[in-house]
Amino acid sequence: MPQSTVLPAGSARSGSLGRWVLLAYRLPREPSNPRVGVWRKLERLGVARLGDGLVALPADARTREQLDWLAEEILEASGAATVWLATPGSAAQERAIAAAMRAARAAEYRAVTDQALSAAGAGAMERRRTARRLRGELRRIARRDFFPPPEREAARAAVDALAVKPAVAEAGP
Amino acid sequence: MRWATRAGVHIDRAACAWLIRRHLDPDASFVFVDDPAEVPADATAFDMRGVELGHHGGDCSFETILRRYQLDDPVLWKLAELVHEADLDDERFDAPEARSLDVLLRGMSMTLDDARVLEVSGPLFDGLYEYWRRGLLLGREPA
Repeated sequence: MPQSTVLPAGSARSGSLGRWVLLAYRLPREPSNPRVGVWRKLERLGVARLGDGLVALPADARTREQLDWLAEEILEASGAATVWLATPGSAAQERAIAAAMRAARAAEYRAVTDQALSAAGAGAMERRRTARRLRGELRRIARRDFFPPPEREAARAAVDALAVKPAVAEAGP
Repeated sequence: MRWATRAGVHIDRAACAWLIRRHLDPDASFVFVDDPAEVPADATAFDMRGVELGHHGGDCSFETILRRYQLDDPVLWKLAELVHEADLDDERFDAPEARSLDVLLRGMSMTLDDARVLEVSGPLFDGLYEYWRRGLLLGREPA
């Protein structure tokens, strides 16, 4: 029997309240390196920032573990950190947080779409190189995308088009 | 010797268990716990918060074990790059295989219990070890 409890991330979509993992932390102002390091990792994880030193992610096996290790890292940097499992007090609250996370990802997907479109007129080599880079970027965004916005498909399509379609200039007679 | 780790094993714990059995303690037995407080007194804990053999200074537990036990086999350090990226995905190393390794282990943990995940993933790590051993000898990807 599987032992890991994998809770559906993004249950906010269906209306039932989901489980979230919260990290409450404090880090000394100096040195600033650990502060910056933790900040970058939180950005990479796509956390919802609930307040000063309080972040949240939909709970699943991966997010729980990521925040656990981050808490450990904060303790090693002489900070304070606790990890919590929580349920939002209301569906409206959860929807608002999910909407903010979805909007943040949507902006990232739009940036990818823009880059793909602006490379569409380039030579074949350049287009393939850009497609490769943007696919990496899409993978990174997808890993922190818990409430996929419609912009995701647009971004994927734009990057795919870059990879397969011949440039207009080369397709000419 | 007894070793303890968190239940619901994933890549880092599965790789550590393989490393322990193959390179540190052939008679190792493993206990899976839900809380650090449940670690038996006679067991060495790994890949758990607050233990020596955990994540430290940006290293995953596999790397920590290599350091603490001074295992300097370059093949194991190559595997450590894969495990690190599959576990942390922080792009410290260029390890494109890591993503697939992550998916394979996630899948296993959905259909098998922890003891079976260690059994089944063991030969996988044996194979990866052999692949990279040949790779390092040849200086290119072996076939």
